[in-house]
Amino acid sequence: MTCVRKASRRELLSRGGALAALGIAGVLDPRRARAHDMSAREQELYAAASKEGELTWYMSHSDDVTAQALGRNFEALYPPLKANVVRTTAQVAFQRVSQEIKAGAMQVDVLSTTDIGHYVYLKEKALLDKYVPENAGKVLDIYRNYDPDGTYFVTSAGMIAIGYNTAKLREADAPKNWTGLTDPKWKDQIALGHPGFSGYVGTWVLTLRKLYGWQFFEALAGNNPQIGRSINDTVTMLNAGERLIAGTGPVGTAMSSAQKGNPLAMIYPTDGTVLIIAPSGIMKGAKHPNAARLFMEYLLSAEASQIWVDHFNESLRPEVAPPPGVTSAKDVRTIRPTADEITKGMPEVIRQWRDTFGV
Amino acid sequence: MALWLILIAALVFLVASPMLRLVLASFQEPDSGRLTLANYAQAYGRMPHLRAILNSLELGTGVALLAGMFGVPIAWAISRTDMPAKGFIRLMVFGAFVIPPYLGAIGWILLAGPNAGWLNKVWMAATGAGHGILNVYSMAGLIVVVAVASFPYVFVFTNSALDLVSSEMEDAASILGAGRMRITFGVTLPLVLPAMIGGLIVSFLEAIALFGAPALIALPARFHVVSTQLWQFFEYPVRVEEAAAYAMPLLAITVLMFALQRSLLGRRGYVAVSGKGGERRMIRLGGWRWAMLGYALAVCTLSVLLPMLVLLQAAFAKAWGRGFALDNLTLANFRYILFEQTQAQHAILNTFLYAGASAFAAIALSLAIAYVVNRKLVPWSNALALLCMAPFVIPGVVLAIGFYAAYAPPPLALYGSAAIIILAFTTRFLPIAYTASAAGLRSINPEMEEAVRNLGGGRLAAIRTVLAPLLKKSLAGAWLLVFIPATRELSSAIFLVGPHTRVISVMLFDLSEEGNFEVLSALGAMLLLATIAIAALAFRVVGRDFMLRGS
Repeated sequence: MTCVRKASRRELLSRGGALAALGIAGVLDPRRARAHDMSAREQELYAAASKEGELTWYMSHSDDVTAQALGRNFEALYPPLKANVVRTTAQVAFQRVSQEIKAGAMQVDVLSTTDIGHYVYLKEKALLDKYVPENAGKVLDIYRNYDPDGTYFVTSAGMIAIGYNTAKLREADAPKNWTGLTDPKWKDQIALGHPGFSGYVGTWVLTLRKLYGWQFFEALAGNNPQIGRSINDTVTMLNAGERLIAGTGPVGTAMSSAQKGNPLAMIYPTDGTVLIIAPSGIMKGAKHPNAARLFMEYLLSAEASQIWVDHFNESLRPEVAPPPGVTSAKDVRTIRPTADEITKGMPEVIRQWRDTFGV
Repeated sequence: MALWLILIAALVFLVASPMLRLVLASFQEPDSGRLTLANYAQAYGRMPHLRAILNSLELGTGVALLAGMFGVPIAWAISRTDMPAKGFIRLMVFGAFVIPPYLGAIGWILLAGPNAGWLNKVWMAATGAGHGILNVYSMAGLIVVVAVASFPYVFVFTNSALDLVSSEMEDAASILGAGRMRITFGVTLPLVLPAMIGGLIVSFLEAIALFGAPALIALPARFHVVSTQLWQFFEYPVRVEEAAAYAMPLLAITVLMFALQRSLLGRRGYVAVSGKGGERRMIRLGGWRWAMLGYALAVCTLSVLLPMLVLLQAAFAKAWGRGFALDNLTLANFRYILFEQTQAQHAILNTFLYAGASAFAAIALSLAIAYVVNRKLVPWSNALALLCMAPFVIPGVVLAIGFYAAYAPPPLALYGSAAIIILAFTTRFLPIAYTASAAGLRSINPEMEEAVRNLGGGRLAAIRTVLAPLLKKSLAGAWLLVFIPATRELSSAIFLVGPHTRVISVMLFDLSEEGNFEVLSALGAMLLLATIAIAALAFRVVGRDFMLRGS
């Protein structure tokens, strides 16, 4: 998919009634012609899903813009299916799912959070539906087989680095590694997300605790960072000039924003860029089970990977490459905790964080 | 009797049952349902939880005092003096009432963010200072943000009381040689003191029950208040029982304050305020009237003009930090909301649908009850009135937890349905609807209905042909008084919305996680515009002073 084509579809969407535009987009978009090269399973799911009409997706893998772009792309590929995309931070999404479980009224079909511990818990409680997408075998090796029982699959990957405002800070002066953030000269200059909301930030906290112990965060707290909720909030803080450095800089959101002309750049820390690998799963009792399955196929498809790459996240598929000049995970040294460490450690680091930072 | 049963059943369903369920849950073990005090031990056993309660009290007190400083002088100036531009100031106070506190909070984040806020930038440019002087992310910041949103309560209470004080006592004081200052502070204001304190108490209660503005400001400021702490109990694992236990002091404080307010307002010592006033003359302020206008304008600037200016700038900006420049103008934020976002169209529709439906439901129910109470059609009718007013003492977050505990699980299984939101909104705003309906009914003499019935018409015919036409205006006003706050209601919606029943307030809250202020402002502007359009339409129908009646 080229950028030109994407833009034209967006323009169409923006004009007139969305429904009518979708219909036109369906005709104009060359990928609609690929209906014939749908696999037998995909066709079967598409037919069954069309009867269900829609699906609800709780999504924390990216910012709202990328989330909605994925939803709209799915709608364009499989008309007349509708996607209800509810983007929140991972812990808020899980909070709503927990409320639904407790009330016995499952509203969500596909859950995509950034805390793999959620899936371990849901699987243990038999709250995930087993479905092995065809496309699960077509993604890069490192994204395969997170759950041998086929209840959840990695559908997104992105990086956390150090972001900075290029209008106010020269690259040479910006911190080169994570420990650089504790330098007192950055007092009142750092923005962070909150692990009690963002799964990205939670994973980052776990990774750095493993590297440097909790003392790192005590030192960081001494610099009085601005603490938001979502990791993407740090990008807003940089753009506004409220802070100079995003201590938890989401590469995808920051680079998308830089592309729009905001004065942003990333430092990939010498002690390792944090790689986040985030799964999705179908909830047991989902009201639109076939649409959910089709959507899982979609999330693992080349089309979805193209959208991810367009928004500066990682591609899951070998055939979709990032545009030249864009830094991706294979270009830098990445670090990440194991799924087991996340499952056990996440509630603990959230508690520690609250004690150290007060909220 | 059948009518009475239906009404009492409706009230039990809406008010009594969720609250009893909440109290019960606070004493129950989560899984077994056995009685226990463990929830209380857990809820109050941690220092941070206790600190949040103290923070809420500090917030409420600060807001009440500041709202008093804002609201009382303006109320006095409009009611008793020859200050110019009264109509404009009144309009601004109404504007402050319409703007949801969380939108005001976003406006103030744009204005007083410690480094990037507009006011701080102006300060730095003017003085050459290295950093700004205002920090919205603080307790003081939160107090200001909430006070500018809640001073209209103090204004309304004080203003309507002042309108009833005749000039006779002031004249008496004047004859005895008292100066103007002495009269104002020694006679006029003490006469309306109960009403003033009533307004302060309502501001206090609003402040401690608020969820949106604290979530936006208190978290970056690194402190919790009761409502944000309550939200945390809903994190995994959901601890409804602990939340219920933790909600109890909020409920207790509110009941206490409300009782205090009632006893103050009900005191009969202040005869001057109890009836229609005699002659009232405006005090000539001379040159001071411009100073007074300046003060009123300053308050309106803080509460409406400045926050709205920066919100509009952000709504039409590519990046708000780049300022007022032509190349920074865009419609992309509106396009994103209306056409690219998959949820927004629904949320906008839902918001006005639910607010409208809740307003109709609340008024239908409260009118029926007010009628029954007013005409003393059934025994114990005052019990109905009391139940109707009870939600006034239930903070929105607490009400939502009660509704969640009572009606989300089977047998009703209303979670995620439009019904649970409409029911919760109906309950939340029932007291407003009841106050307005009862006031409307009191003004109508039963003789006219009796005439219909003497001529052979039934009670329903009397209601349809006599009462309904006479009440049309005041009911339309009451409808608006419920509709406006319902369009922006966040705290009772936050635990009850599902993916298909999202409303603008909750969507704004979700979007605010990412701090995407441009899109947030665009959505907020659309909410405000639609609300103002509907209010303006209603102004034409019911006249401008509908928000000054009742309460």
